[in-house]
Amino acid sequence: MRNKEHRLIDQEIPLLEHVRRSGKGFYLTISILIALVLWGVYAYLTQYRIGLGVTGLSRQIFWGVYITNFVFFIGISHAGTFISAILRVVKAEWRRPISRLSELTTVFILFFGVGSVLIDLGRPDRMLYAIRYAHFRSPLLWDVCSIATYLTVSSICLYLALIPDIAIMRDIGMKKRQWLYEILSLGFTGTEKQWHRLEKAIMFMSIIVIPIMITVHTVVSYVFAMTIQPMWHSAIFGPYFVAGALFSGIATVITIMTILRKVYHLEEYLKPIHFYNLGTLLLAMTLLWLYFTLGEYVATFYGNEPSQMAIFWSKLTGQYAPLFWLHFILCFVIPFPILANPKTRTIKGTLIASISINIGMWLERFVIIVPTLTRQRIPVEGAIYIPTWVEWSILIGCLSFFSLLYALFTKFFPIIPIWEIHEGRGKSIDEVKRRLQSYLPGKE
Amino acid sequence: MAGLTFLGLMVKPGWEVVSQIKPLEPSPAPEGFSGKKWAMAVDLKKCWEAKEGCKDCILACHLVHNVPSIGSLKEEVKWIWTIEYGKAFPEHLHDFNRDEYRGRPVIVFCNQCDDPPCVKYCPTRATWKREDGIVMMDFHRCIGCRYCMAGCPYGSRSFNWRDPRPFIQKVNLEFPTRTKGVVEKCNFCEERLAKGLLPACVEACKEKALIFGDLNDPNSEMRRILMGRHILQRQPELGTKPKVYYMV
Repeated sequence: MRNKEHRLIDQEIPLLEHVRRSGKGFYLTISILIALVLWGVYAYLTQYRIGLGVTGLSRQIFWGVYITNFVFFIGISHAGTFISAILRVVKAEWRRPISRLSELTTVFILFFGVGSVLIDLGRPDRMLYAIRYAHFRSPLLWDVCSIATYLTVSSICLYLALIPDIAIMRDIGMKKRQWLYEILSLGFTGTEKQWHRLEKAIMFMSIIVIPIMITVHTVVSYVFAMTIQPMWHSAIFGPYFVAGALFSGIATVITIMTILRKVYHLEEYLKPIHFYNLGTLLLAMTLLWLYFTLGEYVATFYGNEPSQMAIFWSKLTGQYAPLFWLHFILCFVIPFPILANPKTRTIKGTLIASISINIGMWLERFVIIVPTLTRQRIPVEGAIYIPTWVEWSILIGCLSFFSLLYALFTKFFPIIPIWEIHEGRGKSIDEVKRRLQSYLPGKE
Repeated sequence: MAGLTFLGLMVKPGWEVVSQIKPLEPSPAPEGFSGKKWAMAVDLKKCWEAKEGCKDCILACHLVHNVPSIGSLKEEVKWIWTIEYGKAFPEHLHDFNRDEYRGRPVIVFCNQCDDPPCVKYCPTRATWKREDGIVMMDFHRCIGCRYCMAGCPYGSRSFNWRDPRPFIQKVNLEFPTRTKGVVEKCNFCEERLAKGLLPACVEACKEKALIFGDLNDPNSEMRRILMGRHILQRQPELGTKPKVYYMV
C-alpha cells in the first residue's frame, strides 16, 4: 500500500504544494483578513455594549442587514451539497477536483449563517433559551433543527471524503502536525475492505444530504412565508429560496475556484471545462430564478390586492426601486448573455457572472425582507432604513472570517482531493467505458 | 441509524406543528380570573369630544409601566398611541364617509388577540396567551429576535434598541423596568387587574371613552355596550380575533 501511495503522490505533487509551502502572499492575505475580522469584532462589541440601536434598524423596520446575511449565507451553503452530493449521485466525473472546495464552502459558511442570526439577537446571552425552552411551533425552531442537521451531515460528508487524503498526509509525514493526521485518519490504510466501506458511507451521506439541503432553505423561507405580511406570505417562497440558494451557491463556488486556481497554481486541475460545466448549471439556475421571480411578481400584480400592491409599487417604482432594478440587472441582465453564449462561458466570463450574481442575490434577499417591513398595510411616516457602519463592518467581518478559516484549512489539507483525481485517472476510466457500453445496443 | 434517530426525534415536534389547527393551550389565569375573558371597548365618539391633542391615556400608561421616552421615531417605545382613522380602519374608508372621519385620531394598543400570531412565532415562548385572554410577555425569557414583531399585523410591539432606563422620566417602583434587547407591549395592566384596579388608560380617560370588562360576564358593561352600538375592529379578516372593539 505504501508504494502505491508514493506513486500517487508523485503524480499529484502540485496538490500538496499549497499545504507544505506558504508564500509572502499568503501571510499578507491572512494579516489583512485578521485585521478585517478584528474590525468586525469591534463593531459587534459596540453593538453588544450599546444595543441594537447602533444599527439602522427601527421600530418599523426591525430586520435588515443581519437577517439578509443569514438568508444569503445559508443560501450559499447549498453549493457544496449540490456539487459534491448531487454530481456524485449522478456520477458526473468532472466534479472530482471541485468536490472538496465546495463542501468546505458549505460547512464553513453555515457557521456564519447561524452567526448572523445570533448577532441580530437583542439578548444574545440568552441564545440557548431557544433550545432550553424550544417552542416547536415557531419557524425559527424549525430553522434550528434543520440547520443543525444540515451542518452535521455536511461536516460528515466533508470529513469522510477527506479521510484518504489525511492518510496520505500521515504517510508523507509532516513534522509539526503528524499527531493531527494520525488521529483524523482513523487508521485508514487503503485496503479493499476499507475503500468499499468508505465509498458506501460517502454515497449514503451524499444521498441523504440532498433532501436535507432542500428542507433547509425551504424552512428558512418559511420564517417569512409563514407570517401574514403582504408579499411575504407566498407559497412560492419555498422553491424560490431553494432555487436562489443553488443560484448564489454555484456562483460562490466559481468565484472561490477562480481564486484558488490563481493563488495556488492549480491550472492543471481546475481546467476551463470545469468552469464551462459549472457555467452551464449556473445558466440553468439563472433561468429558474427568473421563472420564480416572474411568477411571484406577475401573480401579485394581476391580483391587485391593495396591501400587496403598496409594497409591489414601492419595490418597482418607489423607495426601493433603485435596489430592485439593480438586483435584477445583476442577477439576470448581466449574467444571462455571458452564460448563454458558449464562447463567453470561460473562466473570466463565469467569474464576472458569478460576482454579479452574488451581489445581486444579496440585494434580492434585502429587497424581499425590507420593503414588506415598511408595512404599507399600516403605513407609517418616515420609515427608512439606512444600514450603519456597524452592520457593514459585521458583514465584511463575517466574509473575512470565512475566508480566513478557508485559507487556514488549505494549509492543513489539500484542497483538491488527491484520491479522487487518482481514482479518476485509474479505475474510473474503465468504469465509464463499461457504463457507456451498457447504454448502447449489444451485450456488456 | 442517524436517519432513524432523526425521524424519531422529529415526531413530537412534527405533531406539534401539524396540530397547529387548534390554537395553543393558554396558561392558567391567576386565582379568581379563570372563566374571565378581558376585552376593551373604545368609544371614539366620546374620545373625539375631548380637547385637541389629549394624551391622558398614553401618559398614564407610559408612567405606570416605566415606558421610556426615547424621543426618536427610529427607536421609540410605545404601548398605546394614536393613528389616523384611515390607517386604523383602511377597509372602512370610502368616498362617502371620508370627510367626516379623515384625520381623526384612533387610540391603538395591543389587541390581545384570541388567536395571536405573535405567540405562534416566539421561539422561546416568551410571549403566551393566558386563560383570561391576556397575551403575556416575559421580559426575562425574551431573546430579542423580534419575530413576534414580524408576526403582529398591527405593529403593536416595540423593541428596546438601547438601555431604556436613562429615558424613563419617573420610575414606578411597582413595575419592572426592562433591559435593552427585549420586546414589550401593552399587557392590559394585568398587574393592576391582580390588585383589583382598572387599567391605567381606562382610569385616566376623563371622557370615559375606554371601557374595560369581562366578555364572559353577561351583566358586564362591556356586553351591554357591544349589544348597542355599531362595532369596528382592526383588520378582523386576518383571523386574529382581536379583543379591542371600536365604536364610532
